[in-house]
Amino acid sequence: MFRFMADYKGDETTGFQSPAQDYIEGVVDLAAILDLRRPGRYPVRVKGQALAARGIRDGDILVADAAAEPRPGVVCVAMVGGDVILATLTRTGASWVLAPSSGPIITVAEDVEVWAIVQALVRTAV
Amino acid sequence: MFALIDGNSFYCSCERAFDPTLRGKPLAVLSNNDGCAIARTQEAKDLGLKMGEPWHLASKRQELKPVIWMSSNYALYGDMSRRMYELLCEEAPRVEPYSIDEMFLDYAGLPGDLLALSARIRERVRTVAKIPTCVGIGPTKTIAKLANKVAKGVRGGDGLCDFARKEEREEAYKTIPLGEVWGLGRASVAKLARRGVESVADFTALRADEVRELLTVTGVRTQAELKGTVCYPFSVSPLTRKSLAVTRSFGKPVLAWPDMEQAIAAYATRAAEKLRRRGLVATAMQVFLRTNEFNSDPKYANQSTFEIEPTADSFALMGDAVRAGRRLWRDGFRYAKAGVVLLDLKPAAELPQELFASRDPERSARLMIALDTVNARYGRQTLKPAVTGLGQSWSMRRQRLSPRYTTHFDEVLLARA
Ligand SMILES: [Mg+2]
Repeated sequence: MFRFMADYKGDETTGFQSPAQDYIEGVVDLAAILDLRRPGRYPVRVKGQALAARGIRDGDILVADAAAEPRPGVVCVAMVGGDVILATLTRTGASWVLAPSSGPIITVAEDVEVWAIVQALVRTAV
Repeated sequence: MFALIDGNSFYCSCERAFDPTLRGKPLAVLSNNDGCAIARTQEAKDLGLKMGEPWHLASKRQELKPVIWMSSNYALYGDMSRRMYELLCEEAPRVEPYSIDEMFLDYAGLPGDLLALSARIRERVRTVAKIPTCVGIGPTKTIAKLANKVAKGVRGGDGLCDFARKEEREEAYKTIPLGEVWGLGRASVAKLARRGVESVADFTALRADEVRELLTVTGVRTQAELKGTVCYPFSVSPLTRKSLAVTRSFGKPVLAWPDMEQAIAAYATRAAEKLRRRGLVATAMQVFLRTNEFNSDPKYANQSTFEIEPTADSFALMGDAVRAGRRLWRDGFRYAKAGVVLLDLKPAAELPQELFASRDPERSARLMIALDTVNARYGRQTLKPAVTGLGQSWSMRRQRLSPRYTTHFDEVLLARA
């Protein structure tokens, strides 16, 4: 679609002056709302349905934050061996453990990294 | 006080941040067109892989068989550099991005233990921006840079080195070879070595007039900086260039003019985008093309440098570049490389209006803003002049490219639920 005025925002009209011209705000900026420019924020796509009970479905985009403090009960992105998985973070005694939606509990240790904590979710097809 | 923070094997670290199967493995990132190794992990260095080794030779060496090779993914590395910068801005009052993986921090006025602060910053960059780093601290940039070398160093650096105190660094200078000093080229180091000046301590012991005689004024400044006098202050102005080049080696040889035309048009368009980002216009241009210098193909190389009407307009620059390319083109050669260099750049605002005789500057400016806005929102290649080509058979060879995890919606990291 060709637009003669490429950046018309409701302000610069050709006939009658727009009463809105001093009030133009632009569209809602989802990148700002999701804080995507923060250095620790990474988009991650979900593969699999195992977290559907928590409202996280196959194909969803998660906004994960590597600067967020770990808390018991949060969903995190973890690197376990060579795999990138989603798991619920919990505590047993002094150590953090990962509870994947299937399979055994994993203690956070040398080859297990809590990579980022899930903060928000984007679903483009509803 | 300054600190220099430097990403370890930066490109490799960016790849490892998102792909845990690469951790602990020998890994190398290749230059454009998968030419030669430009970043190596410690594991790859330990196997004997050298910086700049051509891939087609290195991949045949038996001892290098375990090395994992990857194409350079600059969209990813650029964004990871941005993350590093933004994170550092949360920690230090002023940050100077010196290169894609090295940033100077200005610690001026910060209270407390700068070594502890540096350790904390280093840990945050590792966990948040996912890049392992080394930090060097010193009262001048040259000292901070040297401290960083020591922190990284072969002599058992543990990632942090503090040269804030005079006595400590002067003791260390006795054993550090001069080649590790920032700003001293190989020729200068060789010249000094012939005079028996081999360690940093030998160099700082020279009289300033001796240094001036042997080297240039740059050498004098380097010496002063090593002795603790600031000659290179903190800077936040990006590299000012008098020229701006977009040149590439082709993924496969270009044999036909229409392919070359596309390539030259694409380079001119890219150069014009960069020019506008810096608020500059070009007043002269160079276009060149050439065959492979190293193989047995028949040789041809030619270039043309000429003045143009001052502009930053993609279409105008593209037209000038393509016309020049056509004049240089000769049938029957296998072209390996071409480039467009914009010269004598000036701030757009400084140009008197009447210079734009045959062009409508306002219309051009509006069109270019529209072009840049769409490309910023939907990706760099969304809107482009049609002549730059849709298929781009000449474009870069990048066979081992990782996903653009952080900048491309269809390529983000996958996590198994
Ligand atoms: Mg580095």
